[in-house]
Amino acid sequence: MKIKIIEKKNIKDLLKEAAAEWNVYAPQRNLGGDVWFEALSKPGTDLDKALESVVLEGPDTVISAKDIFFPQLETLFSFNDGKIHEKIESSPKLLFGVRPCDLKGILFADAFFKRNLEDKYYLSRVENRFIVVIGCLKPPRSSCFCTSAMTGPFAKEGFDLQLVEYKDLYLVETGSQSGEEFILKFKKYFKDCPCDFEKTVDEVKSRAAGSVELKVDFQKALELMGQESFIPEENYKRIGERCIYCGGCLYACPTCTCFNVFDNSKDKSGERMRNWDGCVYEGYTRETSGHNPRKDKWQRASRRYEHKLKYDYKQAGSSGCVGCGRCLTSCPVDIGMSKFIQEITEKRKIM
Amino acid sequence: MKNEYIPFPAVIEDVRRETFDTKTFRVRFQDKELAGSFKYKQGQFMEVSVFGKGEAPISITSSPSRKDFLEFTIRAAGSVTKSIHNLKKGDCLHLRGPYGNAFPFEELKGKNIYFIAGGIGLAPLRSLINMVFDSRKDFRHIKLLYGAKTPDELCFKNELETWKKIPDTEVWLTVDKPCDGWGCRVGVVTELWKDTHIHPDNATAILCGPPIMMKFVIMKLAESGFKDKDIIMTLERYMKCGIGKCGHCNIGEKFICVDGPVFDYEQVKQLPHKEGVF
Repeated sequence: MKIKIIEKKNIKDLLKEAAAEWNVYAPQRNLGGDVWFEALSKPGTDLDKALESVVLEGPDTVISAKDIFFPQLETLFSFNDGKIHEKIESSPKLLFGVRPCDLKGILFADAFFKRNLEDKYYLSRVENRFIVVIGCLKPPRSSCFCTSAMTGPFAKEGFDLQLVEYKDLYLVETGSQSGEEFILKFKKYFKDCPCDFEKTVDEVKSRAAGSVELKVDFQKALELMGQESFIPEENYKRIGERCIYCGGCLYACPTCTCFNVFDNSKDKSGERMRNWDGCVYEGYTRETSGHNPRKDKWQRASRRYEHKLKYDYKQAGSSGCVGCGRCLTSCPVDIGMSKFIQEITEKRKIM
Repeated sequence: MKNEYIPFPAVIEDVRRETFDTKTFRVRFQDKELAGSFKYKQGQFMEVSVFGKGEAPISITSSPSRKDFLEFTIRAAGSVTKSIHNLKKGDCLHLRGPYGNAFPFEELKGKNIYFIAGGIGLAPLRSLINMVFDSRKDFRHIKLLYGAKTPDELCFKNELETWKKIPDTEVWLTVDKPCDGWGCRVGVVTELWKDTHIHPDNATAILCGPPIMMKFVIMKLAESGFKDKDIIMTLERYMKCGIGKCGHCNIGEKFICVDGPVFDYEQVKQLPHKEGVF
């Protein structure tokens, strides 16, 4: 489909109209000043007010949009006197303003939750979704390294629509059948280009790519980590000593999907729930007997880096790191994937 | 799409005490159709729930060759297993599964089998042991080498007596701390090498026990000439979902819950041991 255009000033009207059909999610600035990917319509909030807080350019969301499909805390089912009530959520969702790296994270999680035995909770949540990606003209974080991870600053596939910011317009690329249908449905907002914008899109994209300053040798890192004999134990040990095990990097990571399952109950009724968990925590592998196969800090550091760069790549064909740089920005002690990659590929000590 | 997280009610039909902290629960699915159609393989496990306490992965200790009921041998160790121990005949628990791969069976036919277990590690092996005994003539010589801390902590005491009497079958026991009248060996399970000849010819060894025991038994089997492929074990790991999602049992690229729990030593050797296999 040919590139369409939409005027920036019309976006909020489009979102408002779409909200009648979808649960619309978009980056919004909250009271504290941070930007979070949140639903526009929430109980007790006014849609117009929510629209005012939408931020489509500049800062990116603190964590990726993964929690829309894989909430930090969710109920699997409730039980009452032995009877089970399944809680499945499958509302239509429109995600507006997903960054390309986070799209990659979502696609990665989709494949993961489909692998082996299917996870009905995740797969029901993604069943009826529409994703509008906004490419990054400038990296929202100084720690972004999407051009090295080849995940941005614009997406190549997997989106329904992708917006390319250009002056007071967005140039709109269509990536799926549903994307085409969406444009037809809301045709009053999407105009034909008055001139040939193909070249402009290419120029904008290549300028955007040039603005990503942080560059790491991602491919070399994957090659190194793919070698069985390559075990940078000294790096793991330093990271293991330095890490304060807060888990910030895991929660902010678009591809981290580990969870804990527990019951929350009173008397004979309650809920079985799951919440995010993470491999850096000591209790993550601790068995009832007290035996812990990953009791040393460096073993847990090694687990995290090897999972992302070695095993994910081996199993899924794509790395578990999308180059968003959130692990570094969220880390109180300045540890991050890009630094780890620099250390192993450039053989220097920077952490 | 099946919701793998939803468990099904099962009624406890019998509770047998094995040791001071271990009981065997015989259960049957409440739903008659499910009870009739349910299938599992030797070595698989299920997630056993007590609502309000949570769920725990427990190996099925009964055998697919003995139909209509399921047995779980459970040591009261954590909050879930302790609350299972408080349940009585007629009470209900919830099950989902079965999960994981299985011990080989057809491949073992015509072979000598060494079952080597420590403590409650005999529970997952028992599923295969009874299955093998149910078609005894298909297998050659069978030896069980079983160790526990004390004589009291040996599980399945009645069955140990029964198994001993099966033709061409040996049962060797050892304990760390004997009591008066203990007539068998004292010491770790590898001490049993002194009692009976362990020979790798046409043989497969099948192991389960605490990590430290597994390490030493594998060393001893290798010394005796066993090939890596002929040493088969079931691994345990802290586990939540049982379906390869929660990540807890992940070692390298393998999930113990879906790629295992049964591995041969050739596969185990390829796991990244720095992530703590045992």
